[in-house]
Amino acid sequence: MTGMVWLCRREVLRVYKVWTQTVFAPVISSLLFIVVFGLSLGGRIKLVEGFHYREFIVPGLIAMAMMQAAYSNNSASVFQARSDRYINDVLSAPMRPWQMNLGVNMGGWARSLAIGVLLLAASIPITGVPVHHPLFLIAAVLLGMVLFGALGVVVGIFAETFDHHTFVNNIVILPLAFVGGVFYSVSRLGSPWHELSHVNPVFYLVNAMRYGFLGISDVNQWLCLGVTAALAIPVYLWAQWLFSSGRKLKA
Amino acid sequence: MTPALQTKALTKHYDDGTVALQDFDLTVPDGAFFGLLGPNGAGKTTLISAVCNLIRVTSGEVTVFGEQADSLPARSWVGLAEQDINLDRFLTVEETLVYHGGYFGMPKALAQARANEMIDAFDLRAKADTRTPKLSGGMRRRLLLARALMHRPRLVILDEPTAGVDFELRHELWRYIRQLHSEGTTILLTTHYLEEAEELCEEIALIKGGRLIARDSADGLRERYEATSLADVYVKAMAV
Repeated sequence: MTGMVWLCRREVLRVYKVWTQTVFAPVISSLLFIVVFGLSLGGRIKLVEGFHYREFIVPGLIAMAMMQAAYSNNSASVFQARSDRYINDVLSAPMRPWQMNLGVNMGGWARSLAIGVLLLAASIPITGVPVHHPLFLIAAVLLGMVLFGALGVVVGIFAETFDHHTFVNNIVILPLAFVGGVFYSVSRLGSPWHELSHVNPVFYLVNAMRYGFLGISDVNQWLCLGVTAALAIPVYLWAQWLFSSGRKLKA
Repeated sequence: MTPALQTKALTKHYDDGTVALQDFDLTVPDGAFFGLLGPNGAGKTTLISAVCNLIRVTSGEVTVFGEQADSLPARSWVGLAEQDINLDRFLTVEETLVYHGGYFGMPKALAQARANEMIDAFDLRAKADTRTPKLSGGMRRRLLLARALMHRPRLVILDEPTAGVDFELRHELWRYIRQLHSEGTTILLTTHYLEEAEELCEEIALIKGGRLIARDSADGLRERYEATSLADVYVKAMAV
């Protein structure tokens, strides 16, 4: 277990050493969204599902920032370790594959949590957003971190260039987050956009987070949690299999 | 006596079809200073990677002190200094050593004490708090070797440890490696410097095309190939 603990520490240390990039920048970026869309434009928008717009967008923005952080951190960390080949120091160490997988996932989780806590601490006084179901929120956060952290590990293992890592973030995750109901309730969309929103996995995570905060969701909250878990578990196991089999990690 | 390293019919075919090793048998006795010589692409680094759990072997068996090479005990007994500089860019010199010790199961206090010992032994004190990308080439090479020895491995594998280093540092590294061997550590060394192999190794294996073509002491190889120097041995052996 000692090796895994040190690997976890290394991944968290990496986040800490470049905190301006890993934590500060995403927090500022999300706060700007809250200020610009929530406070400046939000005054012109009627209540959404019974909440002020500035409150309504906070859960989705926090979810978006956290999942992007979990993904970006782990994909960049694993890709750099492969590219510079210092991952060999880990692969040759007396650690079991599950310990390696858990260790490399930890950085993304730590970064994601740091961003989430800071955004929450800033959002409550700025917007007055409530937290109606804290335990449900914690479950949603954990599953979201596992899903996107593990996805980052998988992409970091498969990526041949740094472009591959950014491609998934910019072309897949960010657009899915934007059309996943971060800024609006999909119940207001007409057909077929309303139905199409339901095949977007990020939609369920955003709504799980929104239920945790506001107590409202476009679909049943347990379905949201179930879909997120149904995605998080296989993606985490996929990363686990890559460490167990050595595929793409070992020639 | 259980050998430090043993391979039986070790075969590695890469995905692109390259046959790096074919039915490769090798036994390195415990306590030996063993050299591997061969041209680029001969299979030296593939062999090392198989021992250190860094490649998926196609078939065959690799054991370290009698344990399967991919087992946790075997991994903890091996220290590797790779040919390429592969240092964690986010860590300082001291952190590189302490974290490596941690990966290999050392408790924090022990890892810290050992790291300090290695920093002094390899004259890295002035750069202990410097991040690895800011080190000179020679410093990086020292750190690579220090890292390989950090967890007190029983088998140390040095893949061209003196490639690209100046005369003084090469001899300094030789001195340290010799001292390590005199303390009972088994050393497996690959090098392109024939004088290095002759100077350091008790036994030398010549590899070509993924196969072992000869193995003996430097004197034995010279006698066998009727050569006056190890360089002549190498030229004759590789010409076959």
